[in-house]
Amino acid sequence: MQPRDEDLVALARNGDHRAFEELVERHKQKAYRIAFDFARDREEAKDLSQEAFLRAYTHLGNFDGRSGFYTWFYRILVNICLDYKRRKKRTFAEEFNETVESQVEPSHVSQKPPSPDQQVLAGQLSRKVSAALEELPPKQRTAFILKNNQGLSIKEIAEMMQTAEGTVKVHLHRAVTTLRQILAEFA
Amino acid sequence: MHETSTSVACAQFEEDLVLYYYGELGGGERSVVENHLRGCEPCRFYLKELESILPLTVKPDEPPEAFWDDYTREMRRKLTEIKGKKSWWQGLASFFQPWVIPVTATAAVAILALTLTLGKGFWSTKETPQNDEAFMEILPAAENLEFFETMEVLDAMDLLEYIGSPIKGSV
Repeated sequence: MQPRDEDLVALARNGDHRAFEELVERHKQKAYRIAFDFARDREEAKDLSQEAFLRAYTHLGNFDGRSGFYTWFYRILVNICLDYKRRKKRTFAEEFNETVESQVEPSHVSQKPPSPDQQVLAGQLSRKVSAALEELPPKQRTAFILKNNQGLSIKEIAEMMQTAEGTVKVHLHRAVTTLRQILAEFA
Repeated sequence: MHETSTSVACAQFEEDLVLYYYGELGGGERSVVENHLRGCEPCRFYLKELESILPLTVKPDEPPEAFWDDYTREMRRKLTEIKGKKSWWQGLASFFQPWVIPVTATAAVAILALTLTLGKGFWSTKETPQNDEAFMEILPAAENLEFFETMEVLDAMDLLEYIGSPIKGSV
């Protein structure tokens, strides 16, 4: 039988390096995907999710076991992603404006083959979605990404965001309303 | 950011329609929404719009297997680095274990109490010579004062004698 996450945490706290590596193996894909939903860039998502693991490792002493390791760790991850977004917001807005004006793919997605109309449209949509998500207040963005992209339940999101389920529903509804208005032309 | 016209759902059902789309409504609430949808075209259209727009917001990404191998390797290297950094400051931090602070505080209080108790005699022996020295400086001055006081009395006697003598002289 596989040890529970919490057992691995206990071992890691006692200096068992391998136990923490096992936790990384278990959660790396999920962590990466959440980070990717925030960053929408592969390398940045990798860096952000790894940073979350490192922060969790150095703060294992703060894990009190009241929530599961999963909830605790993903809370750290989401906070790191939101911080990153805050730092990047200005840079991203500038980059977005430039690319929309010139109708050229931004550098971080330049590997896509250029030209056909559908790909141009897909690129426009992707940028528009990124910009739309950027417009959302952090709590709405978090609730939306965790529900829409990750398929977490409202209850899980509420635990992760340390708030009431009703509040998560309100954030989700507001996020959907905003995105629907911005992306209506692609419907 | 420009807005494009969107369908308008019944205000009291809008939030429930979002939750319905995500499968987050319980049995009773779901039935209410489904009954409403049967008779409300704007709400049906709103739901269709959610179904066409919201999936577009997910950017697909399937990294290759090599990516995950790199991920694990990098993670191990970073953990090893952080473990190396941890070891020196953990040694320092271990000094500040919870039991160290009260023990240090108790020892400090004990040392202070002993210093005050035993050190009292030490300080007083040091102060005495200083007082004596001061006294020895004051003593000659006091002796001189007595001398001057005696001299004053003699002066007064001379004065009385002097006062008496002219009367004699005048007679």
